[in-house]
Amino acid sequence: MNIRNAKPDDLMNMQHCNLLCLPENYQMKYYFYHGLSWPQLSFVAEDEKGKIVGYVLAKMEEDPEDSVPHGHITSLAVKRSHRRLGLAQKLMDQASRAMVECFNAKYVSLHVRKSNRAALHLYASTLKFTISDIEPKYYADGEDAYAMRRDLTEFGAKVEEKAVVA
Amino acid sequence: MWRCCYAETQSMKGLILNCLGRKEEAYEHVKRGLRNDLRSHVCWHVYGLLQRSDRKYDEAIKCYRNALKWDRDNLQILRDLSLLQIQMRDLEGYRDTRYQLLVLRPAQRASWIGYAMAYHLLKDYDMALKVLEEYRKTQTVKPFDYEHSEMLLYQNMVMREAGMTEEALKHLDNYDAQLVDRITVKEVKAKLLVELGRTEEATKIYWELLDRNPANWESYHGLEDSIKPATPEERLEIYTLAAEKYPQALVPKRLSLNFTAATPEERLEIYTLAAEKYPQALVPKRLSLNFTADDVFREHLDKFLRRMLHKGVPPLFVILRPLYKDHEKAKIIEDVINGYAESLKECELFDKNDDAEKESPTTLLWTYYFLAQHYDVIGQTKQALEYINVALEHTLTLIELFVVKARIYKHAGNIHEAVRCLDEAQSLDTADRYINSKCAKYMLRANMVKEAEEMCAKFTREGVSAMENLNEMQCMWFQTECATAYHRMGKYGEALKKCQEIERHFSEIIEDQFDFHTYCMRKMTLRAYVGLLRLEDVLRQHPFYYKAARLAIQIYTHLYDHPITDSDDTQQADQENLSESELKKLRNKRRKKAKQEALRLEKQRQEESRREAQKAKNPDAELDGPKEEELVPDKLAKTEDPLGEAVKFLKPLQLLAPDRIETHLLAYEIYSRKGKLLLMLQSVKRSYAIDKTHPQLHLCLAKFLHTVMTKQEETLPEPVSSVLKKELEMMSGGMSPLSLNTAFIARYPRSLPHQFAGGRVMYFLDPSLQDQAVDMATKIDNDTEGVTLNLCIDILESLRRGDFGKCDTVACDFKERCHELYPYALAFSTPIDNNTPDLKAKANNIDNADSANILLNGTEP
Repeated sequence: MNIRNAKPDDLMNMQHCNLLCLPENYQMKYYFYHGLSWPQLSFVAEDEKGKIVGYVLAKMEEDPEDSVPHGHITSLAVKRSHRRLGLAQKLMDQASRAMVECFNAKYVSLHVRKSNRAALHLYASTLKFTISDIEPKYYADGEDAYAMRRDLTEFGAKVEEKAVVA
Repeated sequence: MWRCCYAETQSMKGLILNCLGRKEEAYEHVKRGLRNDLRSHVCWHVYGLLQRSDRKYDEAIKCYRNALKWDRDNLQILRDLSLLQIQMRDLEGYRDTRYQLLVLRPAQRASWIGYAMAYHLLKDYDMALKVLEEYRKTQTVKPFDYEHSEMLLYQNMVMREAGMTEEALKHLDNYDAQLVDRITVKEVKAKLLVELGRTEEATKIYWELLDRNPANWESYHGLEDSIKPATPEERLEIYTLAAEKYPQALVPKRLSLNFTAATPEERLEIYTLAAEKYPQALVPKRLSLNFTADDVFREHLDKFLRRMLHKGVPPLFVILRPLYKDHEKAKIIEDVINGYAESLKECELFDKNDDAEKESPTTLLWTYYFLAQHYDVIGQTKQALEYINVALEHTLTLIELFVVKARIYKHAGNIHEAVRCLDEAQSLDTADRYINSKCAKYMLRANMVKEAEEMCAKFTREGVSAMENLNEMQCMWFQTECATAYHRMGKYGEALKKCQEIERHFSEIIEDQFDFHTYCMRKMTLRAYVGLLRLEDVLRQHPFYYKAARLAIQIYTHLYDHPITDSDDTQQADQENLSESELKKLRNKRRKKAKQEALRLEKQRQEESRREAQKAKNPDAELDGPKEEELVPDKLAKTEDPLGEAVKFLKPLQLLAPDRIETHLLAYEIYSRKGKLLLMLQSVKRSYAIDKTHPQLHLCLAKFLHTVMTKQEETLPEPVSSVLKKELEMMSGGMSPLSLNTAFIARYPRSLPHQFAGGRVMYFLDPSLQDQAVDMATKIDNDTEGVTLNLCIDILESLRRGDFGKCDTVACDFKERCHELYPYALAFSTPIDNNTPDLKAKANNIDNADSANILLNGTEP
């Protein structure tokens, strides 16, 4: 599968992929908001016909409480028919690196349903996220969310190197 | 003075009323205000704001212009005007307004950027670049200055669009340290270097890009562009190198399978070509001797498959599916995988002669899983089912197996069995929406709308109906499938409602741009913004729109031919063949249904009044956009101008999908009903230019020719008739419809779709030739081409519909013949073959949960 930065024309197909795969859905305008505020941060996985089979929709936190610039994963999905290809990890790595390069992000955060063990496993063991907090009744149906974070200083080091050379 | 103030106060009151959702009063006040003082810019501005909130943008622009007559430097009005101009793509007007804004507020950056962008969009690149450069000079750069970086990259984009390759490259180099979007920098730079012939430097950058992301196809294509491999071997070398560099990456291994030649013959061809091109060169001649015995594709495929099967990667087949375009490759895949299956079963090794560790039993499972999909795709249902059943015996709880089994049944034409399989899959993991959606989609294919909605409801918001929530979330896959299901069931109003809902999503998404006109200037994300504008210009190119529009057009033309009268409502079903007791049952059923319907309506009314009450409490909800008219299925189906409605859906297709022959064939269907000869001609001509061999076009052309020739007798204005004559002669070669058809039939003697079309025309022109015509449309033997399940269903329906006159026995015989060809397809099975009698009809009339259970589980309640 091809992994690349999401363009405006991809946003509708990302919405379609989201509606197929996840219970949390958004209207198009919210996708536009992401794609037009932080165009570098969202990525898609597409098949040979150009169909979107996975995506990460990401943003920067606009007024971070801790005043540390950091990114946030709004939504991440891979179609069940395309699992076990490592697409989620590739998408997340690309998004994270772009957060550091373009916006000097120090870490990236996300929310996950307490009951979603598969996702929890992916974030914790594959993507090196750790639980930072529990947000009670975060979801519309009343379920709690884990707030998770991944430190991005590792990516930061790579970028620093480049900055020194430049 | 008093009068003037009073007028403006009235206007302002109107504006506030508008915000409270009291539209009528609002307009009354605003208009009264305006009447009292036609020279107040405030009154005009407010009137414009009201029009804008109702999305009457052209009207609003006029109001703003009037307002500016009385206060030409009013910044707020100029800004509002510029937004409407860009929204309506009045680019010249936009440029002029942005000029005024720049003159009035030269210290604001949005003034500069907006002015530059106006020129860019007008393709006046020089001017755009000059303005941007002036602006850039005023900037001081901070570290991590994202906005500045975006501005520079926008400047670079304009340069490239202006064709200034060298300048663009220099520009990137000059400001490299200020550019934070490293991917874009590298991608653009590499491309520019290739264009300038500096391929070695480009190659280096493409490798750097791959270091970052070895799963990006674009970078591989870039590598090929910069290295320009002369032979397939050299090309393969690139990918082998990448595979070595990124041992974890799948992409280089998979992409190389696309172009490795499947057979020695194919490779020989490449070298023969090279040998012809370079007659002096020995190399191609010599090299071609090397591989006449070996098989590069097989070798690469073998490595790839083993690795993936060993790892157990479910999408393996999906990944290789595109290779099936090439029959040779498909054959080799079949061969290799069958070899694995045999050997794995016997000795747990991919090959009996391997000296390796034994594979785990799941390897064999994934091999069967692959084989099932393979046989499904090449149309061998029996084998496909055999393999998927063996796999299921192996592991009964693997959801993926049920999904494939469902797909096999769907392809074979038994959608009910497919639904059963997916319902099983869905029950194994109720937390996975993907499986849930798939199941709902198949249910819709089986016309089980209610069940599908209930399935979806497991993931939609509580407290609202699933239908409503899916509409709110712009869930267009559901709505298109749902519309198609309603269409099949003859519920035209319901189907049209779904089509109209989709149409409204597209309008809404075009509306969505509005806020970004100011937002992006502030954020400096100008490249993305231009991308948005260009996307919105062609938004209705999206397949979701095409599907909805096509369906709507088909329904509207059908409704034109068969208008729904009020008496239809009480006798929808075909009652001719029912016995007295069946009729009685039917009537009882109807009474029950009517009762339920009344209950449902009552509930709906309550729901609506509840919502109204809520809205009154929360008027904000009404603020975005005007209140839209409620879509009532019954009203939609009884529209007075079905063809006019159809044209509304057609226009965007003609504008945005003119390359699809279907667009013009649909246009023909509309215009032929309107009797617009010149527009019919236009449609036929455009279709002809795209594909003159298309069977459906032949049908249109022949009928059109016939219409014109019979019309000639009547009075047509001279210019019209001479144009028609001239153009038609060009397409028909001056033949009569009859000889045109004879020639057509003779040209494609073995192609079923063409023979079917030829047969239809034959009967249309001369009903006495019915036997011959029917025979052509239904003759399928071993060397008939283009036979598909769907075509056979179409032919059967056409026979039943009376396109060939009355021919019940032939239809029966044809159905039997098709049953032989597609033994699993419900469309051709007789009630006796199947335990559940006449599934299709039954599915359409499910009205209680019990009968649904029978369909789903195959057991009596």
